[in-house]
Amino acid sequence: MYGRPNLYTSYKQESQILPTWSQKIVLGIFLLILLAMPLDLWLTEQIPFVRFLGDNEWLPLINKVLVFAIATLGLNLLAGVAGQVSLGHAFFMGVGAVTAVFLGGQSSDNLHGLGLPIWIWLPGAGVAAALAGVIVSPVAVRLRGLYLAIVTLGLVFLGIHFGNTTWGAKFAGAPGLGRKAPKLDIRLWKEETPLINLDDDGRWLGFDVSDKAKTYFLLLGLTVIFAVMAKNIIRTRTGRALQAIRDRDIAAEVMGIPEFRYKVIAFGISSFYAGVAGALFSAALSGQVLAADFGLFFSVEFIAVLLIGGAGTTAGPLVGAFFVVMIPKFVETFTKWLDKTEGGITGKFADVALTGPEGDFGVIYTGVQTPGWQLNVFDWNIVLFGFLIIVFLIFEPLGLYGVWIRVRNYWKRWPFSY
Amino acid sequence: MRKLRWLLAILLAFSLVAAACGDDDDAADSGVDAGDDADAGDDADADDADADADADADDDADADDDADAGDDADAGDDADAPAELVTGEGVDADEMVIRVGLNTDLSGLFAPLTTKITDGQLAYWEDLNANGGIEGWTIEPIVIDNAYDVPTHVENYEVFSGGGDESVVMLSTSTGSPHTAAIAEDLIDDEMFAIPLSWYSGWADPSIGQNVFEVQTNYCIEAMNGVSYLAEQFGNKVAIASFPGDYGQDGAIGAKVAAEALGLEVVYDGEAAVVPGADQTPVITGIVESGADFVWLTTNPGTAAELLGGAAAGGFTGMWSGNSPTWNPALLNTGIGDYADTNYIHSTYTVLWGVGDAPAMGDMISVMEELRPDAPLDDTYIISWIQGRITEQVIRQALANGDITRAGMVAAANEITVDLGGLAPDQNWGGDANDGVVRESYMYDVDASVYSPGATVAEGGGTGYTLLEGPFVSDTAAAWEYEPCFKAS
Amino acid sequence: MTSLTLRLLNARGSVSPVVAFMVGLGSVLGVFMLLQLFNDPEIFIQTLAKSLGLGSVYAIIALGFVLIFKATQTVNFAQGGLAVAGALFLSFLVADDHIPFTTISNPFNDIPGPSWIGWGASVIVAMCFAALLGLVIERLTIRPMIGQPLFSVAVITLGLEIVIRVFNNDAVKIEFRSLEVPWGVDGFRIGDAFINWSTMAAMITAAIAFVAVYFFYRSRTGIAMRAVAFDQEAAMAQGIDVGRVFAIAWAAGAVLAMIGGVFATQPPVRQTLSVEPETATIAFRALPAVILGGLDSATGALLGGLIIGLAEIFAGQYAAGEVGWLGAGYPLIVPYIVMIIGLIIRPYGLFGTPEIRRV
Repeated sequence: MYGRPNLYTSYKQESQILPTWSQKIVLGIFLLILLAMPLDLWLTEQIPFVRFLGDNEWLPLINKVLVFAIATLGLNLLAGVAGQVSLGHAFFMGVGAVTAVFLGGQSSDNLHGLGLPIWIWLPGAGVAAALAGVIVSPVAVRLRGLYLAIVTLGLVFLGIHFGNTTWGAKFAGAPGLGRKAPKLDIRLWKEETPLINLDDDGRWLGFDVSDKAKTYFLLLGLTVIFAVMAKNIIRTRTGRALQAIRDRDIAAEVMGIPEFRYKVIAFGISSFYAGVAGALFSAALSGQVLAADFGLFFSVEFIAVLLIGGAGTTAGPLVGAFFVVMIPKFVETFTKWLDKTEGGITGKFADVALTGPEGDFGVIYTGVQTPGWQLNVFDWNIVLFGFLIIVFLIFEPLGLYGVWIRVRNYWKRWPFSY
Repeated sequence: MRKLRWLLAILLAFSLVAAACGDDDDAADSGVDAGDDADAGDDADADDADADADADADDDADADDDADAGDDADAGDDADAPAELVTGEGVDADEMVIRVGLNTDLSGLFAPLTTKITDGQLAYWEDLNANGGIEGWTIEPIVIDNAYDVPTHVENYEVFSGGGDESVVMLSTSTGSPHTAAIAEDLIDDEMFAIPLSWYSGWADPSIGQNVFEVQTNYCIEAMNGVSYLAEQFGNKVAIASFPGDYGQDGAIGAKVAAEALGLEVVYDGEAAVVPGADQTPVITGIVESGADFVWLTTNPGTAAELLGGAAAGGFTGMWSGNSPTWNPALLNTGIGDYADTNYIHSTYTVLWGVGDAPAMGDMISVMEELRPDAPLDDTYIISWIQGRITEQVIRQALANGDITRAGMVAAANEITVDLGGLAPDQNWGGDANDGVVRESYMYDVDASVYSPGATVAEGGGTGYTLLEGPFVSDTAAAWEYEPCFKAS
Repeated sequence: MTSLTLRLLNARGSVSPVVAFMVGLGSVLGVFMLLQLFNDPEIFIQTLAKSLGLGSVYAIIALGFVLIFKATQTVNFAQGGLAVAGALFLSFLVADDHIPFTTISNPFNDIPGPSWIGWGASVIVAMCFAALLGLVIERLTIRPMIGQPLFSVAVITLGLEIVIRVFNNDAVKIEFRSLEVPWGVDGFRIGDAFINWSTMAAMITAAIAFVAVYFFYRSRTGIAMRAVAFDQEAAMAQGIDVGRVFAIAWAAGAVLAMIGGVFATQPPVRQTLSVEPETATIAFRALPAVILGGLDSATGALLGGLIIGLAEIFAGQYAAGEVGWLGAGYPLIVPYIVMIIGLIIRPYGLFGTPEIRRV
């Protein structure tokens, strides 16, 4: 069927994950590049952007993208596919992180911990969060729209509060300090030497890999698994039922879809994703479990990732996570570069945009403590994050995925306008 | 939609350009950084420099960098300057530049406070470099914002500890307790040390913070001194109220240690009872009903105001004091200003702006007046100066040792006693934790008559304190055998 | 109260188990409160005043939420940012010597007569600024979203909150910015019971705000607003200017946020009488009140605010020994627990209009 992407001869064919060969090839190449990114290969050296993102200094950010992608894939199932908007995603991530550190962390006088290996604590984090989701869902099912959003927001506050109580701190670590997250090392049981050491630099298959690169490979594998799972859920019976509920719940019920059961399923699956992502967040990114990390801003970040990427799709959360996580770093790097530019067009631009301690009218302050009302580049990054949410929702409610659809359709029809 | 397409095109161009030049710019001073914040507890490192810490450091001196200077590798304790200097990451030997890192909060929860501390430290380096640097070496501070976010702090650390243009020899500021705890193990692996912006008593324990070099008295000892001082003056019934966590409970435990040693009666024990943002009725009721002679707080200024105001309304007549981050002179301009003016005593671990005649104080004020005339007048610059002086003296010692690698810095820091020029008691990290911990603190009367709200450095004025006593060590603090007060693990 | 009674009864006019439960719970609490009243009347009066004051602050903020929800069908998550921004306007007028960015001296410092006249004038001017801010935000970000999914609009307000907060906290650099409130933290005593003037002021302001909103809904514009709330398209077809309704709602919402923000710096909420970054949290603390009362009901906002205020303070005063497992600072979560229980019983709040679900 080469060259006829819209021609399907069977239902099965239409519901394939990748219906065309070109999609399969492009995705395959993309995955290969991702795999090679942190390695010292001749090929990766030739692709400037890739090599540079695979750098040790940028890999932590890429790892953050992957964790955010897993979390948002989960939120997408609940908010994008089933239409149940939740501001409580951070709460379920927190449940996952605390479960992980309870199962995988070391116990001491003031902390509970079982010291179990990753193949227990990582799924355990997901299961515990899923349980929390299922417990919450009977209340949530009764609520609609913004009432649901605000009640789930309440969960976030409740979660942080209980994480900081005397008994909660035995699991979640001291308020304001936290506790060590479990190590990612893969062990069979509690033996001294891990089966696969992810904590130190090492050599794999003849390549030098840093600890960050090892973490990256683990996260990449998990992200692929979770993305395929999400795609499968969306295109099969459960996903179709959830979409029917999203589009019109009463109509769905009339068609024989048990609304209650499917909403519980949606909460459970979404929270499972959140739990795993929360465990990975503390183990792979921050190294420290801290109840206060799982606050409202965190929930908002995932909503932003979802909306900027494109709700209801599988690619959306992945692209959105990249965009939201990387943009601030790009802006920061760009500003630093601009600050050092003298003369020429960029120099003129720098004069207008930046202002140094000696002061002129630029809006971005390059010093640390601004004398007046200017904002420094880090503040501007937060402002930019807020603006991105607003601008995307106003101009492109489908997010980056919508932009892609438009670009694709333009070239499909090219040279005709429609 | 046309607009959006343009926006995206610009963003894309922007990111490509940024990406292309991403790896060759050094941030130097374009970053902003901030110091520490008052209530969240920050990290402190008190590496007590136990004997093995520097032993390791010496051994590794050669492991991580320039192999060519191998013969000086363990110069860590050679006092006689060797002919050749061992250099490593974070040093540009051709340009004679040594880079130090500030991993600090410029846009997060504590940005208002930490921004000042960072700016003060930048002024310190500007002044030092303008006067010839350290033996011809220029010190370049690299500032990166952690937004008070642990993963961001870890990402930044990756940049600092790498080999690029923003790699550094040491972290002269690491803001945030959980943040510093998250990098504590990596610091040991990388043989680098960090000065934390937090005064948690645990950092001095080598098992917690071997390469985290805490500066000044910790919250726990400060509380012992404070309670001892208040008990002498005001009576023997004490009420204690604190935040939960490393900051609050550290202070509360210190206060209880002193109360027990002095035979005081703890009439209200509110350790970990004060949760920021919550309604404080239970705590206020507890304090008022206890009839205490004085109260020891370990909170932040806004919450302290709530407790003071609520208790005053309830008819409470005792005195108040608390750990240094509990008070902010700006409270003098708030509803509880008059009450606090008469009833609050400020405890702290450094001298304050313009108080006393320490030589370093004069230097600091004149440098700030020259370089930052428009900055707001604030006591936090003293913390900047202390961090700056420590960093400078460690680098001087490392240069004298002929080893300015990261490990060389750790070794140098473990050798010297830093002279803080009277800003705070001198300190060393080389020996046993119990010997290294600083035990002096200062008590100040909160005094509206010497407070110039809104003043800039150039305008001058006071920050609202008159010295009551200090530096002093209470008997309790002097006799106390060091251990982390609040045990987090 | 007739409508309240009617709503609490189900269609057949008989008492539902839910109502019976609520009445039962209410009478148990009532008996408890009576006991406390006789046990120590002064503490009781003080606690009651405090809780009504806090409840009034919640009610003021909640009314702002309700006004905006009623017109635009969305929850304005930027209410906290607007509260701080509005309070900052007031602080520039009353506490600064100069108009920002200029060397012109502040005209409000020179108003003759007692200081509260200048303060009152500043409040009115600051309210105008707050209204203007609301109008600008509405025009730029909410108006283009007419007809778009409601949740998108709610998320836009979350984005707004992030942006406004940066400007409040980092551009203006608030640590403590005084509001020069004329009554300060003073108060009067009934026996030993201490009651702040600010508590009384909050109660009176909440009452005025409620009455104003009540009559506004019966004015021509108010009826238009209710029509818009009912069905935007149908209202448009009737010649109602939906944009204008949006603008009015946002201006009024921003003003109420500002007033709430000013009261959020005073007892019984805070003692600083100064704007702080934490002032913004009052909006999130008031959310349970909004939801408990029902997102689209002004009566609900008032009663929801008072119920949450009572629950929070009374729990703090009298339950300290009994709820140790809830941990220190439990008053913080009492509102959420009350809200969740309330929603389990009535999913659209006490007075909210249930969504009519059609196939």
